[in-house]
Amino acid sequence: MTAGAGALSPDDTTDPGNWTSRLRRKLEGLVPPGQALPDRQPVYVASWIYVFGVLTLAALVVVIVSGCILALGGVAWWHVSSLGLYINSVHLWSVELFFGFMVIHLWGKFWMAAWRGKRAMTWITGVVLFGASIGTAFTGYLSQSNFASQWISGQAKDGLNSVGIGAWFNVLNPGQMLLWHVVLLPLAVGAITALHVILVRRHGVVPPFDADPSIEQEA
Amino acid sequence: MMSALSIVTEDAAGRYVQWGVVQISVTNLVIIGTMILLFVLALVVPFGSGRGSRADRERRK
Repeated sequence: MTAGAGALSPDDTTDPGNWTSRLRRKLEGLVPPGQALPDRQPVYVASWIYVFGVLTLAALVVVIVSGCILALGGVAWWHVSSLGLYINSVHLWSVELFFGFMVIHLWGKFWMAAWRGKRAMTWITGVVLFGASIGTAFTGYLSQSNFASQWISGQAKDGLNSVGIGAWFNVLNPGQMLLWHVVLLPLAVGAITALHVILVRRHGVVPPFDADPSIEQEA
Repeated sequence: MMSALSIVTEDAAGRYVQWGVVQISVTNLVIIGTMILLFVLALVVPFGSGRGSRADRERRK
């Protein structure tokens, strides 16, 4: 069947009990219309302090892409070949920038009390994301497959054993740490990042304390 | 008793700043200082107004 002038819209033709249509409506309602990728923002957003969230996201993209390239080449490649060493360095330094930008973003949002205006879940997902990112970076340092990773795991094992998680999360098991680093934790970071960004788009960026709530002007 | 601020170079692993019980590598101190500087600059440096959208430019004409 081809779509013509008399074609029905999907809402007219689908069963409201159909899980596909329910999921579609859920996805369509995630953010208000036009807010998924807005090209206009309130005038108070024209400040450098509002840039650090998206800088963190940009660094995360470089982290993920360089990590995927490292996964293609493997351990021997990133330790020996010049290109592998370069991509390994890009992965490390993009992580350093990721954390630097994220912490400045955190400072900005903390002093702005960014949980105001029903934004508590935005703040909390950011806190959880910070924790998940630290875990991902930690397992990354354990996956370098060199003496540094061996030393770090030797130092970490007693602390983790003392809180009783050593049996499930064994830092002396490099295979397990590598899989946490390249599968489980990136999935968690990716999912929480998506949730965090959706919440920012749903509720908008937090205004400064002295912003006039009646400001309609946008930049 | 808190000792005075001093630079410690006990071995070749790096240089550390020590202030009483607080000990931090010079590298980490520089990174934290740079981050604080970036944070302050982000608050005080004016943000460019940009070119705006096509509709904005049309309105300004």
